[in-house]
Amino acid sequence: MIGEWIRFGITCLLLIAALVGFTAAVIGAYRFGFVMNRLHAAGIGDTLGIFLVICAVSVSSGSFLEAAKAFLIIVFLWFTSPASSHFLSQIEYYTNPHLYRYVDRKIQDGPHSDEKEPE
Amino acid sequence: MSVETAYDYLYTGALIWLSVLILFMLVRSIMGPRITDRLLAINMIGTLVISCIAVLSRLLDESYLIDAALIYAMISFVSVLILAMIYIPVRQTRGKFEKDARKEIRAERGIRGSVTESGSPEYKAGKEAEKPAYEKGNAGLDNGRDTQQDASLQEKGGSRT
Repeated sequence: MIGEWIRFGITCLLLIAALVGFTAAVIGAYRFGFVMNRLHAAGIGDTLGIFLVICAVSVSSGSFLEAAKAFLIIVFLWFTSPASSHFLSQIEYYTNPHLYRYVDRKIQDGPHSDEKEPE
Repeated sequence: MSVETAYDYLYTGALIWLSVLILFMLVRSIMGPRITDRLLAINMIGTLVISCIAVLSRLLDESYLIDAALIYAMISFVSVLILAMIYIPVRQTRGKFEKDARKEIRAERGIRGSVTESGSPEYKAGKEAEKPAYEKGNAGLDNGRDTQQDASLQEKGGSRT
């Protein structure tokens, strides 16, 4: 009985940490001023959140087969999530003709000067 | 309270919070100022739905929903890939964009140069100040070389007239 409650506690911690990670990703996708920053925040938060969710599911399920299937999702997503982030940044690179203007301004003004993206 | 009801509360709360986050990302994908924001929001909605399915498989105690989550991960990656292939050109036309934008900037600088006299020290100081850092001191990329050539051409023109 006490073992069940310990397992519930670990699941609870992992799931709440995953939700915090997802929430941080969403907040980052809203609050950063430049597209690449938003992309970075969302990609990192995604990866961390899905890892913690799958860990929570594996801990609470208790069967090896289910945990192995769940970890297959992590393996797949940890390969595909950086690839899709790469493609999204390539879209930004090819479709935004004013990207280098932003980079120029960053070199001039220092690394923490972005509030608005260049129009 | 037994462990099962505690698990039920935990999973239900997690599902509610995940659906709130999905709604927020949906709003982001509708109002995103650039195409990248929209695709980013779609990618993130896919990941949130995968975690929803994983939590739901524990709430209903059906282990085959994990397989559904795996298939969903593959399909969401393929959708992002196909949408990216629409926007990424096969021939890389980035240089054309950049050349157009540089022409714009040169036009802006030309306007400013015609307002103040081009040989005056204020104009030279302003031109030096609006250069990015890597162009200062004649060091830098082809961008720097372009502006350097422009400056030398302008000096020649000034001496001629």
